[in-house]
Amino acid sequence: MAVALPEVVEELLSEMAAAVRDSARSTGLLKFVFGSSAIQALDLVDRQSITLISSPSGRRVYQVLGSSGKTYTCLASCHYCSCPAFAFSVLRKNDSLLCKHLLAIYISQVMRNCQQLSVSDKQLTDILLMKKKLEA
Amino acid sequence: MAETLRRVLSGGNAAGTGEDTTAESGPPVLLLGAQGSGKTSLMFATALEAAGEGCGPVLFLTRRPLQRLPRSTRAAREPLRLQKVRFQYPPSTLELLQLLASTHEVPGPAPCLLLLDGLEEYLAEDPGTQEAAYLAALLLDTAAYFSHRLGSNRSCGLMVALETQVEADGADAPQLTLLQRYFPAKCWLQPEAPGLGQQGCFRACLELGTPGPRAEWTFKFFPDGEMKITPWPTQPTSPSPDKKSSSAGGQSLTSVCDNVSGQFPGPGTAGQVHMQRPKE
Repeated sequence: MAVALPEVVEELLSEMAAAVRDSARSTGLLKFVFGSSAIQALDLVDRQSITLISSPSGRRVYQVLGSSGKTYTCLASCHYCSCPAFAFSVLRKNDSLLCKHLLAIYISQVMRNCQQLSVSDKQLTDILLMKKKLEA
Repeated sequence: MAETLRRVLSGGNAAGTGEDTTAESGPPVLLLGAQGSGKTSLMFATALEAAGEGCGPVLFLTRRPLQRLPRSTRAAREPLRLQKVRFQYPPSTLELLQLLASTHEVPGPAPCLLLLDGLEEYLAEDPGTQEAAYLAALLLDTAAYFSHRLGSNRSCGLMVALETQVEADGADAPQLTLLQRYFPAKCWLQPEAPGLGQQGCFRACLELGTPGPRAEWTFKFFPDGEMKITPWPTQPTSPSPDKKSSSAGGQSLTSVCDNVSGQFPGPGTAGQVHMQRPKE
């Protein structure tokens, strides 16, 4: 652009450009390490599919709305997801480090864009127990 | 948890009760050994040690009520310490899961140590990998929640005992590989030598899951309830961790011990003959 912008705006734009470049690089690395799961995970993040559920006690758990419409429960403190891919690829075959839902959770933590939901202590227990509940 | 265990095994040198020694309990520990290898006794000793540190109650979960108090150091069995250990006996896996999932509903101070004895009994009900992983993960999550409740510079330790079968061919217990994912720190127990288990002489080997030498101890329970712990002299260069052999229950622990042949246990284990016999 021919018009000179105030210096502070120039700097801001330059930082944003660097961030975009970094983000492209990070995404590339993510795909390299995690393969197709990375793309699916990023997609889940984009669609705001991750919810951090907490109760007055302070205990927390994650739920991820999968692409099939099913909701999966993931623990906040260690690697566990209720999806079949976790049981198969991660636990049994040791093929992958994470399933796409867990990866999506980590990405959304970094990008700080997951939904938040408050429930009662009793409801949190039910979620942790992975009880079948009526889908909203 | 590994740090508390290490302190117990180091002769309870927790005299320094500065903030830094009680703050971090270290990673969760999986206690492994065959029947009669001293797991329950060691868990109990660790529970009393943590109760004595005064950082909070201790929660001890096991399937059946203990018939009698396990052997422990006399000094540790003070009533004040025992009072701080809360025992609960979930009779089934479902009830154990319900207990763990609902701990946040229970008011009161958060425990500083969570112990589970007899994991194999709960896993036997539901041998699938996802179920086993879920139980392990929920144990970790419960301890993490307690740590969160304890506050900024304190954490809740976790110690789980699993009875292993002695595998003749050295194969991994099928669930052990899975559990290692959640419990990288392991402590192997076995009787010091054949027959000495009845006399209460045991060997413990702690592997933190990080590179570095293992730490080994011998501990002995005397008939009057006294327990003596002595460090086992370690080689300057330990044998490199061999995942296959180190998971074969008691057998490979002996092979590690065989490398330290010719050494005798330190003072405090009088009357104990140190035998090195190759195992079949």
